Amino acid sequence: MQAQPHNTARDVAGLKVFVVEDESLVAMQLEDMLFDLGCEVVGLAMRLKRAHDMLDSGMAIDVAILDVNIGGEKIYPIATRLRDAGIPIVFATGYGREGLETEWRVCPVLQKPYSASQIEHSILAVTD
Amino acid sequence: MPPELLSGSGRTAARTRRNDGHGSQVFRAGMNDLVFAHIFDVLPSPYMVLDRELRYVSVNRAYEQAVLKQRDELVGRLLFDLFPNEGESGRRLRASFAEVLKTGEPDTIAFIPYEIPRPQSEGGGIEERYWTATHTPMLDDDGAVAFIVQNTVDVTEIVRLKQASTVPSAAVPGELALLRNAREVEEAYQETRSESEEFRRLFRQAPGMIAVLQGPEHVAVFANDSYARFVGHRDVIGLPIRQALPEVAGQGFFEMLDAVYAEGKSFTGEGVRLLIHGEGDEGLSETFIDFTYNPIRDAEGRVTGVFVQGADRTDAIRAADRQRLLIDELNHRVKNTLSTVQSMARQSFRKLPQAQEARAAFDARILALSHAHNVLAERRWEAAGLRVLLRQELSPFSRSQVTMSGPEVHLTARSAIALSMVFHELAANAAAYGALSNDEGELVVSWQVAGEGTGRHLSIAWTETAGAPVSATPLVEGFGMRMLHRVVEGELSGTLSLDLASGGLICRIDLALSEVEEFASTAA
Repeated sequence: MQAQPHNTARDVAGLKVFVVEDESLVAMQLEDMLFDLGCEVVGLAMRLKRAHDMLDSGMAIDVAILDVNIGGEKIYPIATRLRDAGIPIVFATGYGREGLETEWRVCPVLQKPYSASQIEHSILAVTD
Repeated sequence: MPPELLSGSGRTAARTRRNDGHGSQVFRAGMNDLVFAHIFDVLPSPYMVLDRELRYVSVNRAYEQAVLKQRDELVGRLLFDLFPNEGESGRRLRASFAEVLKTGEPDTIAFIPYEIPRPQSEGGGIEERYWTATHTPMLDDDGAVAFIVQNTVDVTEIVRLKQASTVPSAAVPGELALLRNAREVEEAYQETRSESEEFRRLFRQAPGMIAVLQGPEHVAVFANDSYARFVGHRDVIGLPIRQALPEVAGQGFFEMLDAVYAEGKSFTGEGVRLLIHGEGDEGLSETFIDFTYNPIRDAEGRVTGVFVQGADRTDAIRAADRQRLLIDELNHRVKNTLSTVQSMARQSFRKLPQAQEARAAFDARILALSHAHNVLAERRWEAAGLRVLLRQELSPFSRSQVTMSGPEVHLTARSAIALSMVFHELAANAAAYGALSNDEGELVVSWQVAGEGTGRHLSIAWTETAGAPVSATPLVEGFGMRMLHRVVEGELSGTLSLDLASGGLICRIDLALSEVEEFASTAA
């Protein structure tokens, strides 16, 4: 897939992205897409526990991209921590917006499979 | 028969006697009557007579003394108005009266505590006394119970003696032993009675269907609420089963009942289809039931009936059917989607000669994924065997070059997909550059489960022995290497070690069994 040139006033290059995704290949693709967009993946967790550990470490995060079901568990505890810390969130799920609990539907939702430009638009929508 | 009892004139007679200071010489009736009334009055143990409404008709002197009331306070009044008792004793007394009225047979209460009020002259209050009571019916000309004669023996003193007694039971005098015996008999009777009532209640409310069928015609003598609901609340009690549930004929159930009754062997069916008239059904409903028919035997071991237990599994079986359909549909769609992706990749990269090798690798990966889906689909996505996954991936290679050994491990759907991709990358690599790229190389895949409890883990060793000199290029790099690390270390939280230096690739994968196993292994 080829990234299309586009005329956004801002771009996402240089943003520090925290990713939680439990499918290896989907995670790898997301990493690649973010890399192509010039983002820095500061953390990639495939388990909830690992995600908590990473947040505990106090790393700097500009935006988070979260899968909703992580190995049979829901991502919401992590999402809550991020929201409390004022970090913008983009959800990425095969279930679409309907798969999210109501309180989280204000966040952008990427429906799998997604393209690099969809990721970019979602990130731009939640970052200043 | 004393006419004063039967004529209801006892009240007058009693008053007369009392006025005369209980003098036995004062009687106004004829000789025979006088004798019987006199005998009744002077009998040393307490007697009283009740009508069908349990109203005092007559009492003797011993009874007056026993209950500490004069007879004109008693006669004409209802027993339970004077001596209300809502407790167990009262219930037992009422039950005994009811039994006599119903059967016309005497009934005895061997031991009953009964409270009676103490007169003010003796300090007032309530006194608990203990009795043995016999209730004897007096029948009218038509054989119906007209009166009940109660003879009570006040055993209070014996009870108190026993309660106060510190003598060991072997030294208890005969009277006490008799009393204790009576009390035990009574208690045992009460216990059995309440136990069997309790069982009946439990059976009635049990969630499963329960029915008791009696005799060779399978006459229903008991059916609990659940059973009644299942058969549409039809009246089945007292009916032979073929008559009670005629629509079940021809479905094999009655024949099984006949066989259980005839042969005395129980029969169990699971998920058996049964067409029946349910509640409010116009026609027949299709149901699925689990059921057991157990022979009921008498003391001699003869079969006297059949104990039926059943559970309506219709909803569960329908749900399982629906789920099966959905899974089949899902499998079908996943396969079609994989084919579609494959086709799109082919079309997209067709014109790029330099992409041909990548396209072949891509096709092979899609196929490996598809094969893993096949294995899971066969087991309805419940579990996949590690051995089956490996065999599938390695089947294109010569058996003489590939050895597999290890216990069967049932993998979750998720870990099965993940590991099948790992095995595919390793096998593709071995075929291109490693042990399987020539005829002399060997591949040994062995695995074992070790450790205890939560520490149990699965260790897989992928050992290649290069038959011919193999390419010196780092074997798994790029996509393959990255994926191995991602899957094993990230997705499965395990450890991965790759050793390329010793004349063939050695890959070790170590995983917590709890991460990958579908259900706890029965292996010790």
